[in-house]
Amino acid sequence: MSLEPFNRLVKLAARAFYDDVTIKGDNQPKAGRGDNRGMAVIVLDALTRRQWVREEDLAKALKLHSKQLRRTLRFFEEEKLVTREHRKESAKGAKIFNAAMAATADGQQGTKEGDEKMKMHMHSYCCLDYAQIYDVVRYRMHRMKKKIKDELDNRNTIQEYICPNSSCGRRYSAFDVLQLMSMDGESFLCENCKAELTESEKLAAEELGDGDDRKRRHEKLKDMLRKMEEQLKPLVTQLNRVKDLPAPEFGTLLAWEARAHAAAQATGDSNANDSSKSSQGQGYTGTPMPFLGETRVEVALSGLEAKEEIEHDTKPTSLKVLPPWMIKQGMNLTKEQRGEVNPQTKMEQGSSSVDDKKLNLDNEDEKSLQDEYLKAYYAALVKRQEEQEASQRAQQKTELPEGVSETPSERQVGMKSKREDGNDEIEWEEDPSIGNSGAEPYRLADLNVEADASDHEDEEDDIDWEEG
Amino acid sequence: MFFHITLERNMQLHPRHFGPHLRDKLVAKLMKDVEGTCSGRHGFVVAITGVEDIGKGLIREGTGFVTFPVKYQAVVFRPFKGEILEAVVTMVNKMGFFAEAGPVQIFVSNHLIPDDMEFQSGDMPNYTTSDGSVKIQKDSEVRLKIIGTRVDATEIFCIGTIKDDFLGVINDPGATA
Ligand SMILES: [Zn+2]
Repeated sequence: MSLEPFNRLVKLAARAFYDDVTIKGDNQPKAGRGDNRGMAVIVLDALTRRQWVREEDLAKALKLHSKQLRRTLRFFEEEKLVTREHRKESAKGAKIFNAAMAATADGQQGTKEGDEKMKMHMHSYCCLDYAQIYDVVRYRMHRMKKKIKDELDNRNTIQEYICPNSSCGRRYSAFDVLQLMSMDGESFLCENCKAELTESEKLAAEELGDGDDRKRRHEKLKDMLRKMEEQLKPLVTQLNRVKDLPAPEFGTLLAWEARAHAAAQATGDSNANDSSKSSQGQGYTGTPMPFLGETRVEVALSGLEAKEEIEHDTKPTSLKVLPPWMIKQGMNLTKEQRGEVNPQTKMEQGSSSVDDKKLNLDNEDEKSLQDEYLKAYYAALVKRQEEQEASQRAQQKTELPEGVSETPSERQVGMKSKREDGNDEIEWEEDPSIGNSGAEPYRLADLNVEADASDHEDEEDDIDWEEG
Repeated sequence: MFFHITLERNMQLHPRHFGPHLRDKLVAKLMKDVEGTCSGRHGFVVAITGVEDIGKGLIREGTGFVTFPVKYQAVVFRPFKGEILEAVVTMVNKMGFFAEAGPVQIFVSNHLIPDDMEFQSGDMPNYTTSDGSVKIQKDSEVRLKIIGTRVDATEIFCIGTIKDDFLGVINDPGATA
């Protein structure tokens, strides 16, 4: 079972349909805060890197207010993209979840001391419902297309008839025609003045001269349909790709926890095979670092992801050759790719090349909003990265990444969350430049970093895939 | 759509039928009264398939008629919006054509006929494609989709369309004749 195609589906759908969604709060204190467009996409992206996740943890990771996140999640729950579960939890319950988290994170069973203090609290968890997302997206596209097509073809509309007598002008619907039939059956007659009825739209066209409008409208509809098909092509492609794959299924929260726990016990430390399986084509050779890609993705929010994508793009070693428009944040990179690339230098070239390629290879999509968005996104990310890299350089060597992450700016969402994977990512990005270019030491370093971070949200994914 | 449902009806029976064959008389009268009728709620009663229960009769004062509550099972036909039906064309004019699917009358207005079919007047008015390969005239069989129903107490009238995939003529008697 591979998550990656489904995750890409989620990401594409997020950008196609939820990019400009504003999640409205009950009270918006500041005008500037009213516009939280794009947040929906961020949240969905974050969810693709997790399985079940406690909503507070997610909020912390995304540096969102938990209320705001909850609103977003509620919206997605209504949209049928996300499953949520709420339960009253004591410290013990939290421990179980943390244990499950830890279990999926390479069998490290350590629980947070802080969580022990928890009282009975209502906790909400959420998780993407991939099977349903697939259906929802397909249904949405179907409805969109159908709506336009029906309107184009005048389909499913009940014809209206009108009496041409200006003094009468009665209107009838096609339901009345049995009573209106003339003796010879040739036409319909007005009940009132016995004049022959005309189809109302024809008359309207003649009288009001809006035939032109209708034509224009027709053109517009056609245009809309064409644009829609063009712009949603990546999504359609991804839908087709995913069609015959089994959707990732995490089960209920309880089941998931139980499974994660069991898996941890069963595999113990020898989860090398898990990781290799679950690394979903990252090119690992059985090293227990499957969550590299996942974890790094977390940094998407902090801006480092762009580089990953870029590198990914520049290296042909990825499992599947993806068209450039597919390259989005959250793409998994092989370790080699990352290891060999000097992030700072590669970054600029890489980013521009991606954009260029995108332009060249897909002129259709080039025009599309999605790409516009992406381009802007990349540009912003690159810029941000540069700053970051600079500051990282400054503090480098054996420095911990936390310090780095805080320095650049407050805008770096996700970076500051110390216990989050964001740290790890930074660490990894730094590693190559530090000089750990060799495969084994590099991996080792990563492992250590992983152990330091106590919140192993993303790692779960791997074991779970292996399970399902 | 066809349904097999249980219905109830109060039957009034003339005293002259009181005798050994009362029940048979009652059922015969039920069939005569009910089959072929239409109710807005249940649709057309196609056939009575069985009598479930005949309650105690109640003699009406003055007339001597007896009212029996009868519970019976019947096959009913009720068209729904969105349903695909096969129907026989009964009349064609420039406004469209009428068709019947059993007891249901359906009107297909000309804008719900594919754009490539043109109305041809004459002895046998019809809608024909420009290459003449498809023709809709009286007695043609068409497959259509119901896009609207008007249900009155005693009548159901439908609006249909053949402007969709797999709809239209399914056999054309005029073509072979
Ligand atoms: Zn009139």
